Amino acid sequence: MTRAVTVGLRATVRAGVTEADTAAAMGSGDVPVLATPRLLALAEAAAYAAVAPQLADGFTTVGTSVSLEHRRASPLGTEVVVEAELTEVDGSRLVFGFIARVDGTDDDVVLGAGTVERVVVDRARFVARAGARDS
Amino acid sequence: MTEVRAEMVANVWQVVASEGDEVADGDTLVILESMKMEIPVLAEAPGTLTKLAVAEGDVVQEGDLIAVIE
Repeated sequence: MTRAVTVGLRATVRAGVTEADTAAAMGSGDVPVLATPRLLALAEAAAYAAVAPQLADGFTTVGTSVSLEHRRASPLGTEVVVEAELTEVDGSRLVFGFIARVDGTDDDVVLGAGTVERVVVDRARFVARAGARDS
Repeated sequence: MTEVRAEMVANVWQVVASEGDEVADGDTLVILESMKMEIPVLAEAPGTLTKLAVAEGDVVQEGDLIAVIE
């Protein structure tokens, strides 16, 4: 199913905080700063990217669990960098740690941190299964 | 007689075997779905499947009876 999904795999994603990324725009609050669900999306994207190149054709990962601390507000224009690292492999279940910082500064301030869990699935079977349940 | 029980809370996604089937150790009886994963439930002994206690769409709790093999 997988080639070499091993602890230590990592990936980084970067994004600037735009109007569309704010709590006000996403509906998760009413302030013009980085929305927590947007931060989570970046963490999931980094976790996904950390292992995607290692998966056999037709396989992907889907999110199943998350724990997130959003420690600091990021106003418009903040460049956010999120790094995820695979910390545990339990069969198909993968656990990642992630940390979010302000990019491009010497300031080593942590914006957020946490863990996400994803599982390896056969993409076509998964999509078919999810669709079948709704019908 | 061997009882096959659920090891976790799950949805019954597919029932593969039927009552009366002769099964071998390791044959797939049903496929559960939990945490977005498909989890096959296998026969733990060879024999005749005398009872199949779940149907597709059922929710099973940890420890619930799934099947009996004699």
